[in-house]
Amino acid sequence: MEIAVLVKPVPEAETRLRVAASGTTMDPDGIKWVLAGYDESAVEQALLLKESIPGSRVRVLSFGPAPRTEEVLRASIALGCDRATWIEQPADARTDPIGTARAIAAVLTAAPPDLVLAGKHAGDDEAGLVGPALGELLGVPSFGGVTDLRWDAARSRFTFLHAVEGGTESVEAMLHLVVGLQQAWNDPRTAKLPNILKSRKAPIEKIAWATVAPHVGDGTGAPVPAKFRLPTPRTGAKMIEYKTPDEAAVALVRLLKEEAKVFP
Amino acid sequence: MSTTVVLGEARSGRLVEASGEAVGVARRLGATRVVGVLLAAADDPSIASFARAGLDHLYTAVVDPAFAPSPSVPAQLAAQIAAKESADLVIVGGTVLGRDVAGRVAVRWNAAAVTGVTDVDRPGPGSLHVVRPVFGGRATQELLVDAPRVVLALRPHAFTVPSPAAAAAPQEAIAPSESPTEAGAGRIVAFTPSAGRSGPELGEASIVVSGGRGVRAPENFHLVEELAESLDAAVGASRAVTDAGWRPGTYQVGQTGKSVSPQLYIAVGISGAIQHLVGMVSSRVIVAINTDAQAPIFKVADYGIVGDLFQILPALTQEIRRARGRTD
Repeated sequence: MEIAVLVKPVPEAETRLRVAASGTTMDPDGIKWVLAGYDESAVEQALLLKESIPGSRVRVLSFGPAPRTEEVLRASIALGCDRATWIEQPADARTDPIGTARAIAAVLTAAPPDLVLAGKHAGDDEAGLVGPALGELLGVPSFGGVTDLRWDAARSRFTFLHAVEGGTESVEAMLHLVVGLQQAWNDPRTAKLPNILKSRKAPIEKIAWATVAPHVGDGTGAPVPAKFRLPTPRTGAKMIEYKTPDEAAVALVRLLKEEAKVFP
Repeated sequence: MSTTVVLGEARSGRLVEASGEAVGVARRLGATRVVGVLLAAADDPSIASFARAGLDHLYTAVVDPAFAPSPSVPAQLAAQIAAKESADLVIVGGTVLGRDVAGRVAVRWNAAAVTGVTDVDRPGPGSLHVVRPVFGGRATQELLVDAPRVVLALRPHAFTVPSPAAAAAPQEAIAPSESPTEAGAGRIVAFTPSAGRSGPELGEASIVVSGGRGVRAPENFHLVEELAESLDAAVGASRAVTDAGWRPGTYQVGQTGKSVSPQLYIAVGISGAIQHLVGMVSSRVIVAINTDAQAPIFKVADYGIVGDLFQILPALTQEIRRARGRTD
């Protein structure tokens, strides 16, 4: 089985976010970039399938700028992916998630994989658009928030769970499918040191922006960042004074209704 | 003339709340015509609800239920109607399906797309100003969308549902231009309703009530759950609670659990270790109830009650039920 995994570098979870001088984006200075949490689950899932289906290969792809994109591709190779493809994004290329999906589709259409895995969304912009858009571009089904993905070889079907409001759908799908995985349900492995060292020298297939740019378009109509805001720091709680529990309850409900306006 | 298409969603014979929220946003943005699209069996009660949700016209389509909830099918239908109606905006509710569908509609209909929308307005004709939380609610992104066709997926509970219209919108049954196939849509073979209480999912809820070590024992956790139920809230827990096995790991809010950013977060008997704070500090309003006035949770809370949760919680649950007109 040919499996493709989409990965994306995102700031480490504990990163202290700052606003860039432009006021419209995050300040990328001093950020430590890592493989997105949901993507770790996607890589793990790809490796589990590879281990269970003889003759499988895992290709990891990422669309993004140097050097962080190359770094997460090497991290994926260290985890066990067979082959890495980096679609280079120049710093000044104006794109959005739909453009990213078009760039990836342009590369995958030549040899469509049997399965495309991704995180259900990345922990930075949380758009969750690339997987569904890629499914549409490749003309295959797509499902996000998936767990328990398995391959039923006897019936040539993928089976998986898709958590929706109020319950869980059990889904079956044929070869050629895009799946966005739920985070951390499969306990992603960590890379072994020798593999990390080897991954530093592993070849990475580079695809120039010029190759995919005609498919992506010039960014006309793509959403433009207008502002990036951080929450105002809290100054400590307003403490509710009371004599009886009932008094405290009445006071809190009144504040939630009249002041905070969050009472349902 | 500006037409907005709202893709509705029916679950177990009911129109999901998110579909009503989407109609409200369409109206708020000043659409001159709001058209609904719904995949549902001909006699499904959700059709009547959607027809009264504030639409000018409602298209309904019947599709084999094995394919109907698969994202590619409603996406195809929404794009088909958007093209037929020469719409400039498609809005989908912030459900799992809504998010699965948005990117597909955008490709099919050649539109820009923004998901997780918590606020939107029109700074000028043909332009949208969109607000959405990013980084797990640790920051907010504002975008300007200047495109002839736009798809918006809303964040759950960020908008209110308008009151039902007096008259039902005219309905029209349509056939999808493409018949769904297993190769193109996958097949939904079963649906298992969530076990236990039917409250909202922790990650999606607009209100979350979490219990911590202060609850003292698993048999006391019902106090937290009753408070949550009175608010239609999801139930969460601190790591102390899930590590002790009082509640499953899926309840955990924090660095090693789920990150939540609801409108209202009530922390009960939670001291506020940094590992918990990371997962909830981006909530809009935080209430802390704790016996220890020095607990760090009060530093991030908006409202605090220092007191014994075993006394405060029953009183609070009762007061909330009363305020919401519930006597159950």
